[in-house]
Amino acid sequence: MTTEPKHAEKISLFISRSNISTEINKTGTWRFVRPKYHEKTAPCSAACPAGEDIARIEMLSNQGRYQDAAETILLENPFPSVCGRVCFHPCETVCNRAGFDDPVAIHALERFIGDIAIRDELTLKLKKFPENGKTVCIVGAGPSGLAAGHFLSQLGYSCDIYEARSEPGGILRWGIPRYRLPDDVVASEIERIKKTGVKIICNTPVTQNFLQDVKDRYHALFIGCGHGRSLKMNIPGETMAFDGLEFLNLLRKGKAVPSNGTVAVIGGGNTAIDVARSLVRLGATTTLVYRRRKQDMPAFKDEVEMADKEGVRIVELVSPLGINEDDGEYVLSLQRMRTSGMETGRGRARVIPDGQITQHLRVRKIIVAIGAEPSAPWQFPSHKNAETLYLSHCTFTASEPPLLFGGDLTNTTKSVADAVASGKQAAMALDIFFKQGKHAITDRLNSCLVGNGPALSMECYMEKKPWVRNPHIVSHDDINLDYFSQTPRVESESLAINKRMNSFDEIEATFTINQAMKETRRCFNCGICNACDNCRIFCPEIAVILQGAKRQINLDYCKGCGICVFECPRSAMDLEEEL
Amino acid sequence: MKHVLEGSHAVSEAVRLAKVQVMSAYPITPQTHIVEALSEYCSDGTMNARFLCVESEHSAMAAVIGASSAGVRTFTATSSQGLALMHELLHWSSAARLPIVMAEVNRALAPGWNIWMDQTDSLAQRDTGWIQLYCEDGQEVFDTTLQAYRLAETVNLPVMVVLDAFFLSHTFEPVDIPDQELVDRFLPPFSPRIALDTSDPFAMGQMAPPNIYMEMRHDIQKAMEQVSDIFAKVEEEFTEIFGRTYGMVEKVFCDDAQIIMITTGTAASTCRKVISDLRSQGEKVGMLKLKMFRPFPTDLIREHLSHVQKIAVVDRNFSFGASGIFAQEIRAALYNNHSHPPVFGYITGLGGRDVTPEILSEIYWKTKNSTAPEDESVWVGLMD
Repeated sequence: MTTEPKHAEKISLFISRSNISTEINKTGTWRFVRPKYHEKTAPCSAACPAGEDIARIEMLSNQGRYQDAAETILLENPFPSVCGRVCFHPCETVCNRAGFDDPVAIHALERFIGDIAIRDELTLKLKKFPENGKTVCIVGAGPSGLAAGHFLSQLGYSCDIYEARSEPGGILRWGIPRYRLPDDVVASEIERIKKTGVKIICNTPVTQNFLQDVKDRYHALFIGCGHGRSLKMNIPGETMAFDGLEFLNLLRKGKAVPSNGTVAVIGGGNTAIDVARSLVRLGATTTLVYRRRKQDMPAFKDEVEMADKEGVRIVELVSPLGINEDDGEYVLSLQRMRTSGMETGRGRARVIPDGQITQHLRVRKIIVAIGAEPSAPWQFPSHKNAETLYLSHCTFTASEPPLLFGGDLTNTTKSVADAVASGKQAAMALDIFFKQGKHAITDRLNSCLVGNGPALSMECYMEKKPWVRNPHIVSHDDINLDYFSQTPRVESESLAINKRMNSFDEIEATFTINQAMKETRRCFNCGICNACDNCRIFCPEIAVILQGAKRQINLDYCKGCGICVFECPRSAMDLEEEL
Repeated sequence: MKHVLEGSHAVSEAVRLAKVQVMSAYPITPQTHIVEALSEYCSDGTMNARFLCVESEHSAMAAVIGASSAGVRTFTATSSQGLALMHELLHWSSAARLPIVMAEVNRALAPGWNIWMDQTDSLAQRDTGWIQLYCEDGQEVFDTTLQAYRLAETVNLPVMVVLDAFFLSHTFEPVDIPDQELVDRFLPPFSPRIALDTSDPFAMGQMAPPNIYMEMRHDIQKAMEQVSDIFAKVEEEFTEIFGRTYGMVEKVFCDDAQIIMITTGTAASTCRKVISDLRSQGEKVGMLKLKMFRPFPTDLIREHLSHVQKIAVVDRNFSFGASGIFAQEIRAALYNNHSHPPVFGYITGLGGRDVTPEILSEIYWKTKNSTAPEDESVWVGLMD
């Protein structure tokens, strides 16, 4: 094994040299812990009501694989372009990047992918079960009904969606104003759902009688018609106020007229904010009155901030007492409120009247948006009974045929993403019922949770195997920050405040490809392998083998030093003890 | 052309002109200026070289061992604790016969923390198989660094170019920096005798059982024994091109001297002045400047010291429980000689304390006025 130098030089160079491969030395025998590729759940995924595999979506986007990214979203949510615009993005609140610099702009990236899919008319190939011959009747073509249709169609059902109005979309089409959600975006995503075979029958208001009639023709019923009737304030002169939902409806029909003068909007939810911000665009001086404090508003925080910026005057801690007409205008009497020091169950301050203090607001118009409820009694989900399963986002009753309620009728958080979650849960629950019976629903759903739930993974359900990733949610401490540098979050272009006053043009622009590239690069890709190759580069035994795109540990040589696991920036590997 | 440079940068310039291909180092005062300049040369394209950033001196040495095994010219620099941390790999690099050149800035070891001049760090590495060359001024540091590459690459042993902390590393002096063309004439590109090659894979440095290990060690010593001849030849060529010469040792007024003082590094400069003053007072004193410490120039020591009455060794280092290290080596070199004058060992200037002309003349007078050494080491200039 030692050789003399090849050339007879003056200085002797007698060193050991061997041409025998060191492969005979199987260093794997030294090992007592073994590394393994073990993907985990990103916090964003777990927080997303639709359970989108966000870490993977950002990775695919960053690799320019837009089609794959869109398909990955669509497997869990048929509305990327819509949700990218209107979702309250709880994913960003929990983003691990927040503890480093700023959270990744997940909503803007989802919108980017959704818009690319629409713009480039991507033909998306979605996994689909074979048709099973069963037909489901869906009531309401709002987000939950459409989502239920989408997911049921994925699971092999044919679906008829009945819609009272002239066009599908529900709150997306008739509620949310255009500056947040343009019509064509909604139309395109609904069109894609229709292409999967879902039938939407418009101009067909569903009544209880209609349901009795169609019962025999369908194997199941899903009721997701939302809250169509506004709540009443029960104050004198209430009839002189205009209904918020109706106002938004007129607006989307193009029948709302520009107005000057002062308008009062009553309420603190998303509808109230939408009404107020629309009024600003119609030229009105808008005052929003709310009985609790600003921070107690149920409206999404970002929306309240935007309203503030756009000039909506927010008067907090006032409760309407009555409305009087005076010389063609209205006087809104308000009772001053104060916090009582107690909190309601939902973390909002409980308010009580502040003595006898009242104030008056003289306005041209008053619009009320204090909440809504189902417009007919049968639309209320059945009350607690033994036959009904109360799930996080829907109810299931094993009647003949099975009956499900979903969307705003059952959801605690009234959001589009929660409506999607509802459609998905309902579709999965129904499928489990037909295949395994009612008793199996809860366990099977639990086996498809993303992280600790309540979001469900359709990918997991359709793969028919336990959740492909560990439910462990990757924390900030699990990330090896050495591999990241602080980079500012990319913000999308937005319409200047002064340009918003007379226009319903969309405020935020979709990311450009460059912006999307920059922003996806910021994503830690928590818990998933993005092929950064650190494990292979750092392995001192060259025991990480790349086969095609797949990395494997060569256990003949892996000493179990754990360097690969330590150098994995995103916690996609684990070290486990060998017994 | 002459440039006013600090000693550290004299090293950097030599490394630049030597067209080193791979460098790796970890910062440590007072060495840092050397690699600071070199890292800039790498990043701004002045040098076509890779600078490998590492997390410790141990890794820095490991990195240059790897690069040198692959057959490229390498450089690293360190000091004190950094050198101590490299210790294991110092043995490796010499036994692997890798022609690595390292600048070692003599600095005291802690504790107490001390960043100043002290030779114990490099002398503690005397058994690692590295050639060690101690320099007196900026020009010598520059010249020695270039020579070190010729020497290392000829004998396949690593070379440590040693310079005093601050007294040399941070002192600005005029240094002649030659053109690349001249340097190229002296130092051709490295052509390794053995280099790793991915197209013809083999392994180096693996198991050497008892039946072969001794021969390998003996082979290192054989190479060491040829260093002085080769160094002389290298210097001869160097002198031809650049007109400067140093020698493994330098004699100053030695021929008729009755007492010879042995010095190293910058203290040699101070001693030159002291000797010349003493000579003008009629004292028969000489100085032997020791440049090469490994291999130890035993023959030259015997040749130049046999005739004297007394030898005074100035050690800026100490081996606890024994004595000053240079004094030990000189005693050992003379023991089997036909004549061995008494060796007076003096310890001074540890941890950056100045070795002033007063201290050196005190050493001279102490030596002259004693018939025999009062102890193996006499500590000079201690506080009462």
